[in-house]
Amino acid sequence: MEKKLTVIYSCDPINGSTDHTNSPEVIAYAANLPGVSAIWFSSDISLTDAEQVAREIKKNNLKRIVIAGNNAGMHKSFFCRAMVLAGNNPEDVILASFLEYGASHKNEVERAKAIVACAVYGIPFEMAAIPEELPVNPNTLVIGGGIAGIQASLEIASSKNIVYLVEKSPTIGGHMAMFDKTFPTLDCAACILTPKMVEVGQHNYIKLMTYSKVQEVTGVPGNYKVKILKQARKINLETCIGCGTCAEKCPVKVPSEFDANTTLRRAAYIPFPQAVPNKYLIDDSICTYTLKGKCGACVKVCPVPGCINLEEKDEVVEINVGNIIVATGFKTFNATKFAQFGYGKFPNVLTSIELERLINAAGPTGGKIAKRVQDKKGNWIFSTESIYTPKSIAIIHCIGSRDVNHNKYCSKVCCMYSLKLAHLLKEKLPDSEINEYYIDIRAYGKGYEEFYNRIKKEGINVIRGRPAKVEQYGDELIVRCEDIEGGRIIEQKVDMVILAVGTEPRTDSEKIAEMLGITVDSYGWFKEFNYISDPVNTFSGGISIAGACQGPKDIPDTVAQASAAASRVLQSIAKNKIRNGIRNLSLEQIETKAKELSKILQE
Amino acid sequence: MSQRVNLNLKNELFLYGAKDWNQCFQCGNCTATCHTTENGFFFPRKTVRQVLMGLTKSLQTNIDPWLCTYCGDCSKTCPRDANPAELMMSIRRYLISVYDWTGISKLLYKSKALEIAAILVLAVIVMILYLLYTTFPSGDTAQWVGPDGGVLINKMAPWKTIHLGDLLMAGGLVFLIVTNVFYMWYKIIYEDKTLKVGFADYLRPFSLLSKIFHPEKKYAKCDEKKLFTYWALHLFLALSYALMFVIIVFFLEWFQTDKVLPIYHPQRLLGYISTIGLLVGIIYFYTNRTIKNMENSKYSHFTDWTFLILLFLTTLTGILLHFFRIYGMPQLTYITYLIHLMVLVPMLMVEVPFSKWSHMIYRPFSLYFAHLKKMALVKQKLILEHST
Repeated sequence: MEKKLTVIYSCDPINGSTDHTNSPEVIAYAANLPGVSAIWFSSDISLTDAEQVAREIKKNNLKRIVIAGNNAGMHKSFFCRAMVLAGNNPEDVILASFLEYGASHKNEVERAKAIVACAVYGIPFEMAAIPEELPVNPNTLVIGGGIAGIQASLEIASSKNIVYLVEKSPTIGGHMAMFDKTFPTLDCAACILTPKMVEVGQHNYIKLMTYSKVQEVTGVPGNYKVKILKQARKINLETCIGCGTCAEKCPVKVPSEFDANTTLRRAAYIPFPQAVPNKYLIDDSICTYTLKGKCGACVKVCPVPGCINLEEKDEVVEINVGNIIVATGFKTFNATKFAQFGYGKFPNVLTSIELERLINAAGPTGGKIAKRVQDKKGNWIFSTESIYTPKSIAIIHCIGSRDVNHNKYCSKVCCMYSLKLAHLLKEKLPDSEINEYYIDIRAYGKGYEEFYNRIKKEGINVIRGRPAKVEQYGDELIVRCEDIEGGRIIEQKVDMVILAVGTEPRTDSEKIAEMLGITVDSYGWFKEFNYISDPVNTFSGGISIAGACQGPKDIPDTVAQASAAASRVLQSIAKNKIRNGIRNLSLEQIETKAKELSKILQE
Repeated sequence: MSQRVNLNLKNELFLYGAKDWNQCFQCGNCTATCHTTENGFFFPRKTVRQVLMGLTKSLQTNIDPWLCTYCGDCSKTCPRDANPAELMMSIRRYLISVYDWTGISKLLYKSKALEIAAILVLAVIVMILYLLYTTFPSGDTAQWVGPDGGVLINKMAPWKTIHLGDLLMAGGLVFLIVTNVFYMWYKIIYEDKTLKVGFADYLRPFSLLSKIFHPEKKYAKCDEKKLFTYWALHLFLALSYALMFVIIVFFLEWFQTDKVLPIYHPQRLLGYISTIGLLVGIIYFYTNRTIKNMENSKYSHFTDWTFLILLFLTTLTGILLHFFRIYGMPQLTYITYLIHLMVLVPMLMVEVPFSKWSHMIYRPFSLYFAHLKKMALVKQKLILEHST
């Protein structure tokens, strides 16, 4: 067999991914691989003149070219042309694409080396990198207690396997618990969710850990050791009877997270009446006792002796699990970034999530539309005293989505929830004018287009055109927009503006990804193994993702993906075997395997 | 209005400096942001639409790009980075080439090589004429210097000769400008059969004058605070330019003297003021276009640079000429005068009728035509007055 001379062309990384290609370690490693005669950098040759590169190839008698880099595929056609011009086989241009095999994380130099090695030996990476199978601990950890986490937990627990459900906030339910209705069927969101929440709370096989955070994950797939920080609730979960006397006497008030900061809660509080677990807790960060060392009003009034312990400390629990499902969800776009719409400046410019709370029968005003008013301490809240009937309401789509200045992607759910909100508003305020301003209506799912047509028939003005600004004159807000289909400029007087905010990855998603050894894309959404054929698994073995932490997703899709993640977990438990993640393979393992295979090929 | 779709229009406009406007998804943000938009004049989105659909006829009769003040608000808030503001400027270049009935402008805008060649050819013609009709100050230097130490410039290059050339050139330019403006009127007002503009209507819009001289009222609405400086320096530059142009073309006898006049004499004072205006303007616009700190200087077509460079060279040689003359250096004066004319004439001949400079004419006329159009639309009840 003739000795093949190989060149490695190292190309520039694309935006947003970490640079390995110019990492001296990878380059030095590649130079020592057998058969490598030269390394070209992207700065060495011009990618416009294939003939010149062909002359170089001929001069050095190169037989093969390996293109290494994050976006290696982009340069393949050029080098193929050069190889043909040099009289070689264009099939000897081999890609070592880092992004494709998940080497986009910070400490992924070893992976990058392995990918280059496989390419040099001429073995596909998938053939050399086959992880071994490991035994599985049947317990599962689910991170995040939204609808995805709840669904996955219930699926696994109903087959009598133990699930640890860890939730950061004091109650499970997530964003769905905040919504009033679901599109397109207009079912009550709480009626779907709360039975599931209660089932989770009462299930024998679900160990619910609310107000807790995953701190550290170690071990191998099938046997992860997880450290969980259980924050002190300061009110005993076992003995609290949920009477609420402590909250009545508590002197501190802060905006309520559950009501999207439109109402106030105390330091001793329950997030919402249907919370699971339905017990009170004390917010350490604002409690007068913690801050000043004296108060204890809640302890004095509590009817159960010893239930409130203001000295309770956080506690770290260690558990062993075989699989982990990540279902951390999303956050809504911060509308203050759009200065032109005046959110945060004009009180009656609301985000959609605030309207969801306002319009909810269990919300701040019992489902009646109210103005945002300032209370004595200067907090902007919805109060039952400010209930009124707005004459006209504007709903502006695509806030923070499909915008190169903010998020380039479509948030997928905003069109539909805006139409739903318009319907709910029309139902409550039949005489009011409701205007929807959209760029494109994306009614993409089962029954969605029909829902859109129904909304149009209900007398809601659906106007094509993205408003440029909202201005306030006295009590009136003015929305300026081009009505593209009507062919005119409109300056609409409205009483209330709703901004349909998009969805974004959680701010700590990168931290979680690093802790679990999974990857995120350039926006911060968790990266799946393969978007089309394997949207549930990740590059780490035994770690699946579910719900809106992978990308914008509506409730049906989230539930479906959560069930899919549960099925992956149950599959591994049933077989008692789990494939180690490709990530866990060491460089030597892949290299040895690649060498073996290349020997077989040569023989 | 039925018209033929020109599928190649998009590609043709790339030569006029347009960026990738296929990005546009027609959301209407630019129109709504724009402070000059009113009913009847929806730009920039409508213009983008015409380009994307290849409606050459609509685009050629479109007046909107001339009304743009290039404050850049639309580009800044564009969710697709489609740069509508820069597109308006590219359409302006395109429209300049449309209004020019000779077709020369089209050639010069599309090809950098042709533009440079045109400048060089004109420079050579000027050089030949200059060498033919003037005398080189050979021999004893003293006989070319006057009693007050200044060069006897009229002895080597008599003002009458130069003035004749000036007037010939000015006549040609005026002819081109008048015919081009007439063609612009033909395209915008006459070809739009829906507009009914009566003869008396042409005389009415005197209120328009305030609009031309108070553009800062419009800029005040923009987010870009720096635009006031921009507007002021632009006005200073334009006025200095006009002043210098009038003095040189029509009052050369008074301006080109053998005697060195005292510094406070209006001849020298006016010359200095307009020179400062030109220099400050050139430096300001040059830095803006280099550091690209504002929306309206982010993108430069090569004709923008040509204009700036030619204007700078003209000003520089003008200054040198002045000092060589008053400090009595006849040979240098003669050569500098030659170079000065070799830059000045091509600048005027190329830029005034065929390129960037012509916006000085088209922009005021477009405001006038827009006013006529608006009056006609109001009269025909197509739009309501103050409807926005």
